[in-house]
Amino acid sequence: MLRWVPAARGGWLAAGIGLLLLFPLSSPDAYFLDVLTTGFLLAAFTASWDVVGGIAGQVTLGHALPFGAATYALALLGRIAGMPFPVAAVLAVLIATAAGAGIGWLAAPLSGPFVALLTLALGEAAHEVAVGHAFLTGPGGYAWGGEGGIPVALPWRDAPPFAAYYASLAFLCLSTWGMLAFSRSGGGLILRAVAGSPVTAQASGVPIGRYKRLAFTVGSAFAGAAGVGFASHVGRATAGDLSLELSFQAATFAAVGGRGTVIGPAVAALALHALFQGLSLPPAARVLLYAATLMVTLRFFPGGVAGTAREIAARLGRREGPRIPRRRREPGTPPGGSA
Amino acid sequence: MTALLAANGIAKSFDGTRVLDGVTLSIAAGEPVGLFGPNGSGKTTLANVLSGLLFPDAGTIAFEGRDVTWLPLDARYRLGIARTFQIPHPYPSLTVQEAVRVALSAGAGKRPAGEGAGEEIEELISRTGLFDQRFVPCARLSQGCLRRLEFARALACRPKLLILDEVFSSLSTVDEGDLVALLRAANREGGTAFLLISHNRMLLKGTCSRVLYLEEGRVARERTV
Repeated sequence: MLRWVPAARGGWLAAGIGLLLLFPLSSPDAYFLDVLTTGFLLAAFTASWDVVGGIAGQVTLGHALPFGAATYALALLGRIAGMPFPVAAVLAVLIATAAGAGIGWLAAPLSGPFVALLTLALGEAAHEVAVGHAFLTGPGGYAWGGEGGIPVALPWRDAPPFAAYYASLAFLCLSTWGMLAFSRSGGGLILRAVAGSPVTAQASGVPIGRYKRLAFTVGSAFAGAAGVGFASHVGRATAGDLSLELSFQAATFAAVGGRGTVIGPAVAALALHALFQGLSLPPAARVLLYAATLMVTLRFFPGGVAGTAREIAARLGRREGPRIPRRRREPGTPPGGSA
Repeated sequence: MTALLAANGIAKSFDGTRVLDGVTLSIAAGEPVGLFGPNGSGKTTLANVLSGLLFPDAGTIAFEGRDVTWLPLDARYRLGIARTFQIPHPYPSLTVQEAVRVALSAGAGKRPAGEGAGEEIEELISRTGLFDQRFVPCARLSQGCLRRLEFARALACRPKLLILDEVFSSLSTVDEGDLVALLRAANREGGTAFLLISHNRMLLKGTCSRVLYLEEGRVARERTV
């Protein structure tokens, strides 16, 4: 690998964050500021999918479940249980984490398409419950739940849009850093081994079921945190937070960005969300653009944008020649030396 | 003396076809044992059952006097039963160094995955002749290097018993010579017992003190070399 490659990648990221920090100073349209604020939270959610589906290779199609569990928990704990916002927020993340641990427990003995099918079924079941259940009914037929969702009790009123923008950006940076740190830890390395070859990992002593549960738990914790941020920003938990569309969106944005890279999926999610929403395209055109982006990526860049960039950097590094100091065995000695 | 590994009456069927039919064998600590037999005699199935990749339909397996019949592959590795695969299944995105680190950290269960394990990783990689490839992704390794990596991975837990399934097939003479020397060194100096599955009679005679002949899912005979 060339020495300048990580530095260049870090430089691009720093430049991107710098631009995003300065963006509100250009007096942008309030709608586009809102699009970006939502985009930061969805980018963090997509990166959290990558912890499960990319790093650990457990392709989940129900990742909206912990996200929605957190938005609903925040709304219900604040509105119905009357908890203060910070307490409800922490509990909401814990509930999402517990939901992820439960999904992991169910999915750990499965592999490949069976994980996808199980998570799809769980996600859809949760969505149907949210759509069909009225959590609180009041006089005159007023109800909280169903498609309309539940309002979140926020401790602030009419917060300036810049505050939400910068808070969401800070959350995206911090959560992505946390997920990257996890992916580069010993546990992350083992998860990548489990994703690459479960049988070899098991033959190397890895209890793969335990590590799959870990991936679902950690990924769901970050998804739950993103859900809390999202519900706080839009002020409501709705059935859409648990929708299959949201789960599929995370999976496909991660594929475009580069599965297993964390930053790639986050950047792709932010860029594509900003593009699709910011262009104010009609829904049909948006779907076509979305499908075309996905098809081009999967056909020509199967590793996604970040995966392809990494591959190019590795090729350039090989062309430059080996920098590795060579160690030669003394003639006549066995390769093993001593056991 | 208690056998290191004692398998008693192991039976295994697939879709009604009996592949192992009451295999009984024992391996002493530090003993190099060969397993020979025609194609379809059940050698790989026996390796899978002894290593914990498959569970038997009948019979028991004891390791150091402890019943391990229902322990999975990873738990047996942590106890000291390591195995290599006839066809390696490498981690595509991990480098050689990272693949060995996984085995050292998860397998041994007591050594850290961080830099503290660096010297041990480097030693294993050097011993298996992979030092120059240590930063190469496993997906780009040749068959010879993949077999060497299998050895490094298996040796990472300092195994008491190593089960080697056709590990030398399709290898160059150089690779085979290096790996045989490594196996002998692990046996002689580390006291690692092994069960070497091979179609090569000469190799088995040269490396094992006892060779078992498997035929139609049974140990038909054994010969002391």
